[in-house]
Amino acid sequence: MTLAIFLFISIILVCIQTATPYLVKRTIIFGVTVPEKHIKNEQLLSYKKRYTFMVALFSFIVLASYMIWVLMSTQGEEKTVLIGTLIQFGIILFSLSFYFFYHGKTLQLKKKNNWMDNLTQVKVSDLTVRSQDEMLPWYVFLLPMMITVGVIGYTIFQYDLLPEQIPTHWGINGEADAFTEKTPISAILMPLTLLAMQAMFLGINLGKNKSGFKLSATGLNASRTRQLTLRKNSSWLMFGISLLLTVMFSFFQLTTIHPDLFAGTVMMVTPIIFLVIVLAGTIVFAVKVGRSDKQSIDEVKEEITDYDDDTHWKGGIFYFNRNDPSIFVEKRFGVGWTLNFANPIGYIIVFFPLVVVIVLSAL
Amino acid sequence: MIIRIEPDSDIPIYEQLSNQIIEGIARGVIQPGDSLPSVRAFASDLGVNMHTVNKSYHLLEKKGIIKIVPKSGAIISSPQDFNQSSLDRLKDEYMPLIAESLVVGMSQKQILELVSIIINDIKKN
Repeated sequence: MTLAIFLFISIILVCIQTATPYLVKRTIIFGVTVPEKHIKNEQLLSYKKRYTFMVALFSFIVLASYMIWVLMSTQGEEKTVLIGTLIQFGIILFSLSFYFFYHGKTLQLKKKNNWMDNLTQVKVSDLTVRSQDEMLPWYVFLLPMMITVGVIGYTIFQYDLLPEQIPTHWGINGEADAFTEKTPISAILMPLTLLAMQAMFLGINLGKNKSGFKLSATGLNASRTRQLTLRKNSSWLMFGISLLLTVMFSFFQLTTIHPDLFAGTVMMVTPIIFLVIVLAGTIVFAVKVGRSDKQSIDEVKEEITDYDDDTHWKGGIFYFNRNDPSIFVEKRFGVGWTLNFANPIGYIIVFFPLVVVIVLSAL
Repeated sequence: MIIRIEPDSDIPIYEQLSNQIIEGIARGVIQPGDSLPSVRAFASDLGVNMHTVNKSYHLLEKKGIIKIVPKSGAIISSPQDFNQSSLDRLKDEYMPLIAESLVVGMSQKQILELVSIIINDIKKN
């Protein structure tokens, strides 16, 4: 069971890692701005292919050995979990080092061929694009928070029913395996943590809504479609995850108050269902956004290109632009969003709820 | 309407912005009563400082082209909102350009022709 879960997660991870060069924005290759007319360059295409091949090969070898090792040996569950987790980190680290290798190669190629020379660098904005934005409004995210407040209220109301030992961790079989003493704080710690996460989701949605529509001058329609798809789908994905987390956490909390409410199998199956839905949602999201700017490509005859803001992208991954009031921007390598690290509001939205959770659990 | 700026141009960005908005109104792409995006939204779209957009909006407001209404943003004014002072200001702004045209040897006829070519170009779209 453990093996199956780890393999399942790892394979999805590998699929996303290997597909990344084909899912990113058209004019960004390995985190480097490339003018539209050079994105089909033979060398660049071969970099993408080699990246995908290497990541796939390495992951296959590692996962196959992991599987054989688990099936052959009689190691305990704990070791399987530990090694499985390490392997996932390994896959990410390995992909990242390959990314950096090709990031450097792409930069060199761009410099050697003087791709930006003789092209006027421009930035564009569509004054009316916001009327087409289909992001969920922030207050929709209050709904799951209200459910959580209800669960907290119910817990306080039923405080006497709670056992003397409050479960804090559940094993893979759905049975609690770590406990803490019952106090008013520990009794509601789980829903409080959930509330902090939901507040973070609300903040992230609001921050994305306030962030810029980054359009490409050489692919106006394609980039507009991509931005709209990204904004709409990421807010729905976050809302879905927030809702699912609410259901799962409330379910665990209710089971702590009324141990006989649900059968053990339900306890075991719930997190797995959660995992499957979240992973499936993420894949659909990545593919949808990744494909959104690959059709309906407009022809550009002028000698223009998008403004080269590579200097604001440290390593092609971390965005740092003091002038840009955007809190979040679209990722360069991967599908989704990243912080504008020069904007302190982003840090508050993302890290404040984490700090609250850590402080609460230390009490 | 699409706004396109060249960050490396000699013309300051705030001026590029106001010029294009004015041109957009002249061409009829933006109508009187339409609203412009908020300063924050516009600046984050372009990845430029909010002061730049603010400066551009204030320039447009000074010229009477937009009205900045607190909370609802910047609204495009209608032509009847213009008065004698805008005419005086335009006269001052035409002056050096027309003087330069005369200095480089353009005749009155050529200048008038150039003006009508530009007007036709704007009206065409």
